[in-house]
Amino acid sequence: MAEQYDIAAVREKYIGFETATARGRYLVEYDAIRRHCHMVDDNNPLFLDPDYARKTAHESVICPPSGWLALYFASLGPWPAVFEPLFPIVPTPGKRIVNMSQEVEWSTRIKAGDHLSVRRRIADVYQKAVSLDAEAVWIVAEATISNQRDETVCVIRNTMLTHRTPDEQEQATGNKR
Amino acid sequence: MASAQLHWEEVRVGDELEGFTLEITPRRLFLQVSGSQDWYPLHFDPAFARKAGHSDLFVNTGFLQAALVRVITDWMGDDGFLRKLRFEMRRQQRQGDTMVCRGKVAAKHERDGDGIVEIEVWAENEREGVTTPGMATVALPRRSGGPG
Repeated sequence: MAEQYDIAAVREKYIGFETATARGRYLVEYDAIRRHCHMVDDNNPLFLDPDYARKTAHESVICPPSGWLALYFASLGPWPAVFEPLFPIVPTPGKRIVNMSQEVEWSTRIKAGDHLSVRRRIADVYQKAVSLDAEAVWIVAEATISNQRDETVCVIRNTMLTHRTPDEQEQATGNKR
Repeated sequence: MASAQLHWEEVRVGDELEGFTLEITPRRLFLQVSGSQDWYPLHFDPAFARKAGHSDLFVNTGFLQAALVRVITDWMGDDGFLRKLRFEMRRQQRQGDTMVCRGKVAAKHERDGDGIVEIEVWAENEREGVTTPGMATVALPRRSGGPG
């Protein structure tokens, strides 16, 4: 018989859980910014051209203000890639993930050569049915990114849906019979 | 391309941000994985996506965010500062779609001497309409040379 998922116990145990601060292995580097820009044909010279950027008020290539890219430099850069280290922490009935929304608040710009760190916190966990899965679990995770001067660069708030595949749901239904 | 610097005084509520269009081709999906370094198969493996209950694979959050950010940074110029961006993945951009990204000035105001502009920004396609609505807060430099 399948074990009953206890959302109340999960909420009590994991909401407020915070990771230690982890520093990205590499500095903020040109080529990762270039690849990121090129996926959406972003040819902004402030992000791509060191000669151009040096002559601006910023005196350096700037990282586009994408929370995704900030998180990449702070944590996801090293190989082998880790998609999202928080998911194994919060137990969920399904392991499939869909990101539903993101909010990023910026305090300062990121420049090429910065060294970023991240601290993660689970802000909320709840169960809400969606068409994909009546027992979907939603996780709200916050990531605070800081730089080598311990300045907060941005705070990223992600709302993610975890769900079971149709096969897993069918199997679970069968197990309950 | 570098654009002429936009100042807060020049912005009017209702102004449109020009934006751009991207075809979601197989090549674009490869660029997505390269540019986001997102190896979750939902965004490049149709069989994985279908097994999860989706109709097909769809582009990831990093890609959508990069696109919405580009709408704003192309418009605000080098000295604008994106303070906040919130967006929702309500519907999907899939292979074969033409993704159109646009924006519109919703409000402008001053806060502690800064020139603030609130922007509606979104991605849409012909199949689904608006897929990814968002709101952004941008600080622009002032003509007087005050803080942006």
